[in-house]
Formats: sequence, C-alpha cells, structure tokens
Amino acid sequence: MDKSLNSGLSRRSFLKASALSSGGLLLSVALPGCAAIGMKNQGMVSAGEWQSNAWLRIDTDNRITFILDRVEMGQGTYTGLVTLLAEELEVDPALVQVEFAGVGSAYDNPLYKLQITGGSTSVASSFKRIRLAGASAREMLKQAAAQVWALENTSTLHCDNGQVIHSSGKTLSYGELASIAATFSVPEDTALKSPDEYRYIGKYNKRLDALQKVTGQAVYGIDVELPGMLYAVISRAPAFGGTVKTLDSSAAKAASGVVDVFPLEAAGRSGVAVVGRSYWQARKAQQLLQIEWQTPEVAPSSDAIFAQYTRDLDNEDGEQVRDDGDFDAAAEQAASTLTAEYQLPYLAHATLEPQNCVVKADADGMEVWAPTQSASMARVAAGKHSRYSLDDIVIHTTWIGGGFGRRILQDYVAECAVIADRLQKPVKLIWSREEDTAHDWYRPASLHRLQATINADGKASGWQHRIAHPKVFEWFVGDAAPAQYPFMPKFMFPMLASAGKLGEGILAPKDSSGYEGANDVPYALDNIDVRFIHSEPGVPVGYWRSVGFSHNGFVTESFIDELAHQQKQDPLNFRLELLAQHPRAQSLLRRVAQLADWGRPLPGCHQGVAIHKSFNTWVAQIADVQVEGKNFSVKRVVCAVDCGQAVNPDMIRAQMEGGINFALTAALYGNITLKDGAVQQSNFHDYNMLRMPEAPQIVVDIADNQYDPTGVGEPGVPPLAPAVANALFAATGQRLRRLPLQLA
Amino acid sequence: MIRLTVNDVEHTLDVEGDTPLLWVVRDVLGLKGSKFGCGAGLCGACTMHLNGQPIRTCIMPLSAVAGQNITTIEGLSPANASVQQLTPVQQAWLELNVPQCGYCQSGQIMAATALLASNPNPSDADIDNAMSGNICRCGTYPRIRSAIHKAAGMMSAGSHPQAARNGELFSEVTLPQATNSEELSHG
Repeated sequence: MDKSLNSGLSRRSFLKASALSSGGLLLSVALPGCAAIGMKNQGMVSAGEWQSNAWLRIDTDNRITFILDRVEMGQGTYTGLVTLLAEELEVDPALVQVEFAGVGSAYDNPLYKLQITGGSTSVASSFKRIRLAGASAREMLKQAAAQVWALENTSTLHCDNGQVIHSSGKTLSYGELASIAATFSVPEDTALKSPDEYRYIGKYNKRLDALQKVTGQAVYGIDVELPGMLYAVISRAPAFGGTVKTLDSSAAKAASGVVDVFPLEAAGRSGVAVVGRSYWQARKAQQLLQIEWQTPEVAPSSDAIFAQYTRDLDNEDGEQVRDDGDFDAAAEQAASTLTAEYQLPYLAHATLEPQNCVVKADADGMEVWAPTQSASMARVAAGKHSRYSLDDIVIHTTWIGGGFGRRILQDYVAECAVIADRLQKPVKLIWSREEDTAHDWYRPASLHRLQATINADGKASGWQHRIAHPKVFEWFVGDAAPAQYPFMPKFMFPMLASAGKLGEGILAPKDSSGYEGANDVPYALDNIDVRFIHSEPGVPVGYWRSVGFSHNGFVTESFIDELAHQQKQDPLNFRLELLAQHPRAQSLLRRVAQLADWGRPLPGCHQGVAIHKSFNTWVAQIADVQVEGKNFSVKRVVCAVDCGQAVNPDMIRAQMEGGINFALTAALYGNITLKDGAVQQSNFHDYNMLRMPEAPQIVVDIADNQYDPTGVGEPGVPPLAPAVANALFAATGQRLRRLPLQLA
Repeated sequence: MIRLTVNDVEHTLDVEGDTPLLWVVRDVLGLKGSKFGCGAGLCGACTMHLNGQPIRTCIMPLSAVAGQNITTIEGLSPANASVQQLTPVQQAWLELNVPQCGYCQSGQIMAATALLASNPNPSDADIDNAMSGNICRCGTYPRIRSAIHKAAGMMSAGSHPQAARNGELFSEVTLPQATNSEELSHG
C-alpha cells in the first residue's frame, strides 16, 4: 500500500458518508464553509431528491452509481474515471452505473477552480481523489461486515466482485452492507493500492460508453426532447460586433408553424431569432427574414490582421516569458544567425454536433440541457441572460458530440436562455453548420519570428522566439469569473468579469495560451529569449484542442529542424543531444525512431520527426510522407507517448489516433479567413475535414512507467504538423512555415 | 398525408413534404440515433438506408421517399439489444472500441453495413470509396477500417447469427452508391 499518495488530501474536509433515504450508502464530497450555497442546484442523484455533491452511491439492491463530474465528449473520461473508482472498490467497471453531475462546487476542477472539462486534466486531477472515494467506501463496507459477523477488526476480510469475503469463505454483498456502512464515518487512514496490486488500472480496455454509441441510444444535447418544445434558429450578424440595422420580419412571421420572431442580443452577438413548431419550419421562415446589418467600425480582414501582427512584432518588445543566459550577447558574438517567420491561421472547432441547447423556463425556475464543457459557466450564462437567479437554474449535462474546447464557451446557452425566458416555454436552439463555422471562438491566428545564433565554433548558441497573439482568457473570463463566485448577486457579474481580467496571474492562472510550448522549449541552448507580444485583432477566440501548444509545437519543432539541417546534423540525433536533461523525452525519441525505422522510410516516402510536451505529457511522432508534384499524402504516423501510469491503454491509443487525425485536418486544410470582419468559410465543402482515404496508418506505443498519470486528450495534436512539415522538407527541400501546408 | 415505412413499422404522416427525412425521423417519429451534422449531404451523420441503399437524409425531402422502406440505426438490432443480438458491424465496432464522441457513428455504421451487404470482402480501396462521405471529427478512421474488415470476417465465417439476417435485409441490393465524388474535393 502506498500511503504517500494520500498526501495533500485532507479526508476530513473531503469525503462525507451518509445514508440514502431508501437505505444504502452515499459518499459525498464535503467542502467546509460553503456547503449551504446553491444547494438547490447541486447534483440531482435520484428523482425528486436533492443531494449535495454526491460521487458514489451504493443501493441496497447492489446498484453502484458513480456521479461523473466531468463530461464525456469522446476523450474517454467516462471509462477512465470509472476504472479508477472500480479499482479501489473491487468491482467490475462494467457494472458501475454512471450519472452525469449537475452544478456543484465540490465538482470544480481543482486546477481551474471551475467545474470544467478541459486541459487534458480529468484523469490526472482525479487520479487520487476518486480512488480515495472508492477505497474509503471499500473499507467502510468491510467495517460493516465485521459488525455483522461480530469480528474485532477487518483483518480477515477482503473485497472482490462487489462482495466482502471472510477468510472462511462466507460473503456479504455490498448492497446488504450499504445501510450499515452508512452509519460509520469515513476512515482517516485508508491506503490506496500500490501499482503491483492493480487489476484494472493499466489493463482495462473496454470502452464503457461504446454500446450506447453503436446502437444510437446515447442522448446528446441535440437529442433532448421535452413535451410542447419549440424550435429556435438565429440569424447572427455576419461581422463580429455587427448589429441589426433594419428588420422586416413580416414574411417570416406569416410562415407556417412560426411562433415568434424577434431581435436578440446574447453573449456579445446580435441576431434575429425565429421560433417555430418544428426545426424545419423555423429554418424555412429564417430564409424570409429581411435584415440589414450595421457593420461594426472595426471589421478586420485576414490581411489586415497579419499586418497588425507584423507591426506589433516590429515595434513591441512584449513580455519576456523565458530568459536563459544572455541572448543579446550571443547575437552580438554570433558568427552567423538563422532567422525565420512562421504564420498560423484561425481555426474553427467544427464539432460534428453543432452548437445547441434546450431550455425550459417557467414559474418554477429554469432548467438547461446543454452539451457543455462547463456546467458552472453554463449556469452563469443562463443567469446573465434571463430573469432567473443562479439558485433557480438547474443545469443538466448530456453526451457531447465533440468538444475540442468549443464548449468551454457558453454562447448557445446564453442565446437559448434569452429565448426561453421570453417565451416561458421549452425551446431547443439548433445552430446550422454554416452558423457554427462562422460564429466560433477560433483558435487564434499568430505570427512568430525566430532567430537562432551560431557561434564561431559552428555550434548553436542561442534561440529567440517572438510571438504575436491575442489573449484567449479575455474572451472567456466574462462567464468564468462569476462562475468562481456563484454566491455573488448577478449585478456583480460585470465587475467580477473585469476583476477577473485584471486579476489574470493573481486571482486566476496566467493566460499562457500565446506562449505555452514556446517558453518551455526543452532544448539545452545556453541563451534563450522568448517574448509574448499581446496583439488583439478583435476576432473572438477560444480554447482549441492543445491551445497554445497547437501553434508553438509547430513553430518550435519546425525551427529546431531548420537548425539541425543548418548544423548538418541528423534531426533526430540533434534533438537527442539537446535533450540530455529530459531523459523521458530522450527514451521516447529512441523508441519512436526504433518503431518507425528512422532513416529507412516506407517505399516512396520521406520521414520527419517531432517531439513536444504539452499538458505534462511528452509525445514523439515520425511521419512517413509521399510527395507527388505539389501533392502529398501522409502514409504512416508512428507515435510514442509518455503520460505516466496508463489507466486505460486503449483509450490512450485512441486519443493519440484521434489527435493525429485532428491535427492532420488542420495541417492539410484548416484555414479560417476573414473579410470585412466576417468569416468566409461555411460548411465542409470550404472548411474541409480529413476523410477515410487520407487517414494514415497509425502506430502508437505507450511508455511503461508508474509516474502519476498526465493528460492524453490534447498532447497527440502538437507534434503532427511539424513532423509532416519536416518530412516535406526532407522530400523537397522546401521549408513550409505556414499552415495549412502547401508545396510550391 | 405521406406514408412511410421505418424499421418495418408503417407510418402515415401529416408533415410538410419538403421537410428533410432526417427531421421527420428524429422529431416526428422520435428516433434520435441519426444525427444532424451539416444539412448539406457532406458529412454522413444522417445516413439511413432507403430500400437498403445508404442515403443522406438531411437533404432528402420526405415527399421524395413517400411509400418507401427506411432503415435507421435503431432498426439494425432490437431495442436494448444484448451484445449477441447486435449485427456483426455493431459487434466489431464494440470490440475495437471504435466510438469516441460517437456522434458520427450511427452514420458510419449505416454506411459500413450497406457496403458489406453488397461487398462481403471489401479491400482497403473499397472501404475508402464507400466510407469517404462520412466524416469523423474525432478521427476514428483507422478503427473504422479495422472494424469493417473484422465484421466481414465474422460474416463470412457464417458463425454469426446476424449474418443471415443481414443477407436477407440486403438481398435486393445491387451496388452501393459509394458517395458523391463531387462532395469530396479537397483542394
């Protein structure tokens, strides 16, 4: 047993046991001080009965229910967290029933102080907490059995398969013991299993949500249906910040099935809502709207945005976010320098389930069903955009048809809250694909200038990286800051938002979205200077799978490749030499080189390598790429990942495969462009997604170790584009410094 | 009134004839397994079978399929089916942990089912051709490919109780309309 794992968790303020009214055991997360706040809104664990922040319920009929406080959007958290619980509780993970949590402060992600699923944190941040909940319940069930069998202690008892077993062979099921266990307090000194005792962690590979998803039974946000529900669609101002100048809605109002047509403002956007008795009636009536839009004063086009970035890089020193040695001195003494400019575009998330929300508003309060990555921010958005106080708003989360960071923002909840509040009826809002593409919170475009210095001995001596990029945080804080203070009255929300903005780095974590993956460049060069130049073009931006690492991974791993070639060194060996202080990275590079047969590409192919650490996980990839004229195809990607202790190895492989194909979509096609403040792309014909014929063979290898687990949802993304670009350089001698990749 | 047979159940519907089949099946008949992704026949999330052929129902007006037989994901196996009652395609999907977010998978499974009904032993190129109209944003393509090969193996082995059922279901199929190649320009 490994007791050191428990450090930092005070059980007294963490877990609380209580009896279910129907008999049985409920383990709750108890937080000191604020337990009474917003009780009405916290997790509804059974029909008609409110419970605070429940995590685990064992009923007298042996049902074991886990309240999942993160959302499942494909990343495998559902299976992962159940595996952690089942490991310590000694039950088959497949027998654990799962309910989605509502809003509750105890469900907050400890890394963000918000109830949010993002940043590849679910397994990493829950690894101890959820195992401890399972272990505590297990020990209480053993105590209950000891009482029934009149034993002095539990030393002759063990648990297996949902039963407490005595050394004599007699058994009691968890259900039989649950009511008695609920009379005990949570033990103080429960130890967690040591890795050699694991039976599921590192081995369990059955995806628990797959059956619902291959039979069409999983209920996504867009599938929620309420009696008497109306359907809403919204025409939004094409340019960011645009407003409705004139509206003639007479034809739309007269159309079949139309209930209401009205202008609305929500989440910083202006539009016109059309509400109908069916989705198609609302959609058809929308075509009859006559709207003249007022174009905003600032309506940038892509060229102007990159010109602004160029100006800011020319004129601003920015904030220094890495300062090793003395780069300026290295530059003065340099025998030669290598310089390059890299440019990356805006990207949409393009979740296959378009944004949507269902809201029911009446005299009793407001209920929201939303495919959201943050239940607590969804509640703030609904409160800000309606007459209801947060205590009267209940959030239900659903299965999510792709998140990738899009659903950290809550604009669809805000819009639907406005509509339902006005109509006092249940309403489902559905965005079209075109609306989803044109009104996203985009991965920011960025511009990068790099300079490497080479000393008189011909050795690389310095590295400078200057980044022009906006602050994603500023587009997110409006709902996030109030969600951290749910007891504050609504009129305080704007103040909380501005305080949150000013409090960046003090009250809230520093916004590293511009420079993460750049300031921590891992290569051992003596003089490193990384600077973030805050440049804000006014285009709404958000968190996109792997966030800042998505651009800085491409830039740093391409430029180190340039430097390797300048030094006439093998790109893999060059990296290995400069990673002496990162042995886990070195062994990963050696492993990927071995698996991909580095130096011996597939027939007709060339190879490129990249390695990048994001969300505390190292990923190395080698791409085999075939070039024909100006076209190329990625034939194979070999990927090695070190995410510490693997929980569900096949989920990790799946996330690497998915991350690679997600990144390949961006590398081949991803490019959101603007004209007069409006996005020019609309649907999958002009915002292309990778399809089956272009999907490469993928080989994934997982490092075998027992460090605490780190994230896997995002880290597969950053190395892919540079690995492909480096292979294209090997094949053609063309260094591609812009995404999407295009050969000349 | 428009008549329509969905998963062997006949319906008489009082719905405007230009309504896309997808919304009729989802919101009038309450079968939510088929998904809305693009509204333009570009992503395949809405794929159902029309007399055994895969079609894009987000752009198929109800009036155009009046009197026809439609099969949705819910029609492949019984409600609340056990794993053994699933089709070979669904079983292969389960065994290989294909779904991630799962949103596209109903459409993927309908496309793969139609492929295997007409081509019991597809090559990789056949799979590329038949599946290229179905987008998976989570990037599960390698597993979809493996699962189709696996399902083909299960069906040809003849050991699968659902194999006969599939043969019957698609006995009249001649050739699958792979996909609209003009949808697939990738620049």
